[in-house]
Amino acid sequence: MAEGRAPRAGADGKKFERRRRAAAAMAEEAPEGGAVRTLPSLRRLSRALPFGRSHGRLIVPALCSQEKADPQKTAFVLRKAWTLYSVTPLYGFRRARLRDYARLLGAFIAAEKQKGLAVEVGVELDIKVALSSLADIRGSELDQAALLVQLSSRSRSSSRNSEDKPVWLGWFCSVFGDELSESVPEHFTCLPLFLSHGAESYTALVGSWFQKTFDCCFRRLAISPLNLSWMVAMWAGCKLDRAASAVELVFSVPRLAQPLDISYAIHPEDAKALWDTVQKTPGEITHEEVDVFMDCLYAHFHRHFKIHLSAAKLVKISTAIASAHCDGIVKILHSQYLPGVLMLLTELAISQIQ
Amino acid sequence: MDETVAEYIRRTVLKIPKDEMKMMLQKWGFLSEAQLQTLNFHQIKDNISQEVVQLCEENSADIKQAAVLDIIYNHIYQNKRMWSVYQMKKSGEELEYFDITDFKKKFKRRLQSALKNVTITFKEYEDNAIWIRVAWGTPHKKPNQYKPSYVVYHSQTPYVFISPSVLKSTLPLLCQALIVASNYHDIREMELRSHSLNSLKDIVFKRYSQNFQTCTPKPLQGGNVEPENDIRIVDENRSEKERIHRLNQEVFGSGPQPILEFAQYRLETMFKSDPKMEVLDKKEPFRCLVKFSSPHLLESLKSLAPAGMADAPLSPLLTCIPHKARNYFKIREKKGLYPESFVSP
Repeated sequence: MAEGRAPRAGADGKKFERRRRAAAAMAEEAPEGGAVRTLPSLRRLSRALPFGRSHGRLIVPALCSQEKADPQKTAFVLRKAWTLYSVTPLYGFRRARLRDYARLLGAFIAAEKQKGLAVEVGVELDIKVALSSLADIRGSELDQAALLVQLSSRSRSSSRNSEDKPVWLGWFCSVFGDELSESVPEHFTCLPLFLSHGAESYTALVGSWFQKTFDCCFRRLAISPLNLSWMVAMWAGCKLDRAASAVELVFSVPRLAQPLDISYAIHPEDAKALWDTVQKTPGEITHEEVDVFMDCLYAHFHRHFKIHLSAAKLVKISTAIASAHCDGIVKILHSQYLPGVLMLLTELAISQIQ
Repeated sequence: MDETVAEYIRRTVLKIPKDEMKMMLQKWGFLSEAQLQTLNFHQIKDNISQEVVQLCEENSADIKQAAVLDIIYNHIYQNKRMWSVYQMKKSGEELEYFDITDFKKKFKRRLQSALKNVTITFKEYEDNAIWIRVAWGTPHKKPNQYKPSYVVYHSQTPYVFISPSVLKSTLPLLCQALIVASNYHDIREMELRSHSLNSLKDIVFKRYSQNFQTCTPKPLQGGNVEPENDIRIVDENRSEKERIHRLNQEVFGSGPQPILEFAQYRLETMFKSDPKMEVLDKKEPFRCLVKFSSPHLLESLKSLAPAGMADAPLSPLLTCIPHKARNYFKIREKKGLYPESFVSP
């Protein structure tokens, strides 16, 4: 599977524009508030102003939106570490043929395992494949329903009444991925974000079958420090009813005699209080606000330790909503904010594809 | 020989790297030289361990001997455990003659009166260190040999290094036995922890290089490779580098630093921001938990300023670690005259 970790130069500008467009699309769904009315001008503005210039804005109704998905059906997503990939549009994928696909993928995995048997001794497992649609995970009307791939094992020796043991999970989704769905020709299915949980060898097998069958391309999706800082600012400001876990930023300091990691964990109430004074218009986030938030945290740290965190690399953030690592591994912790998190990730996946 | 003893010896032998097995068994001294000669060390570890168990069977080993082998292993691989430093206090200043036999007797008596099922093993090393291994049971259960506590005590010093058992409730008992046996009145944790037992000793016994304010500024080693297009800029860079180097030498000394892997700070200080920013003007403290971790923390902290990642001198909160002999801190705003300084209780 192709590994592409280095973000392309200049991708952030597009990314930001897309984030606002995706956010604007979400706003169309949310009837309350003035977001809908500002939409046309915002779109114009977003095209005129690349990321990095001032006055860029992001509307974030997703993070405050009503629960859309049935929490029961999406519960499997929560509290698992998911490895992220971007996937180019699938060619010739037909939802009605999921059973056939499952059978074919199962046969493919079995064949590959047979090949591997010469070296890999003691593999006694039958892998069962199930493909299903997750109608609850999608954003706009243009989004395709998410697609879940489940691999479970059945031991040959004790197959009498033993249950199938899940060994690997992966799912494709698109949440407000309109920019991509609008632009592809017929016969293409846009599910740009792929998340996997389980042994990498299975990810490789499933990935290569999809690549071969639907002429698509998988790439690891890294998250830049800039995007991590957006995420931590956004999620630090989210309202939570139950006692929340700390807002944590993990930095690694490069070019030292010995490697150094710094974890900076802030009490969630204090982080939210800070963000609330930084953010001037509720429901909107600007580039400057994220910068001010981070600069304030850096200044507080510098006052105590005389260390410039801004020169260190932000590698991981965690909040009560979700945690994200720069290598492209996320954990989603709160079902209410699932659509918002997936929207952001969909957008990152799309910007990597384009 | 007891089945559990045989299994414990087998598992302990399996932990030892193959090329160190002979050396460790020799140190153990339980098997005769003739017995050791019969062992074939050129086979898989599993087979060697079986042969060792067989020989131990011949000598009818019991758990005491097995525990000594475990201490030998942990003495050599002491960096595999996490060590925490404790300091004991006397009420008076009286100096007493330390009698090791008396110490052992009192330590044992104290633990055994509280808990019948304990395995207590001592081993003395040349550097005046007494290693103590305690395996804990319950009134109705035999001691669990796989979850022992290890204590390293240097007589004539008030310091004890403890690698506690995962059975948490045993720690107060252990501390009690230690102060009773060594005639102290009180014991407290110093908030200093590391995998490197030797570095902890270096810190509390003040054995690391401590040439504070005594070194003369020396030019940086290594040739200057800057192009000499503007001599003033080069000079400025050089003097700044020299300043950082000098300040670093003052706070860290020139020798190697003791090995610590982390330092933790619980901050409950005010959030002070630029009034122009108009952010968070609260009278309540801003609560954070900051953790630094590195395979060699003090060396990495020392290289922060030269790498341009920090101001020189570095914050006293970080540079005080070796002389304060602690790596866990709680920081509150200092009340009164110095608004820019912090205290740790």
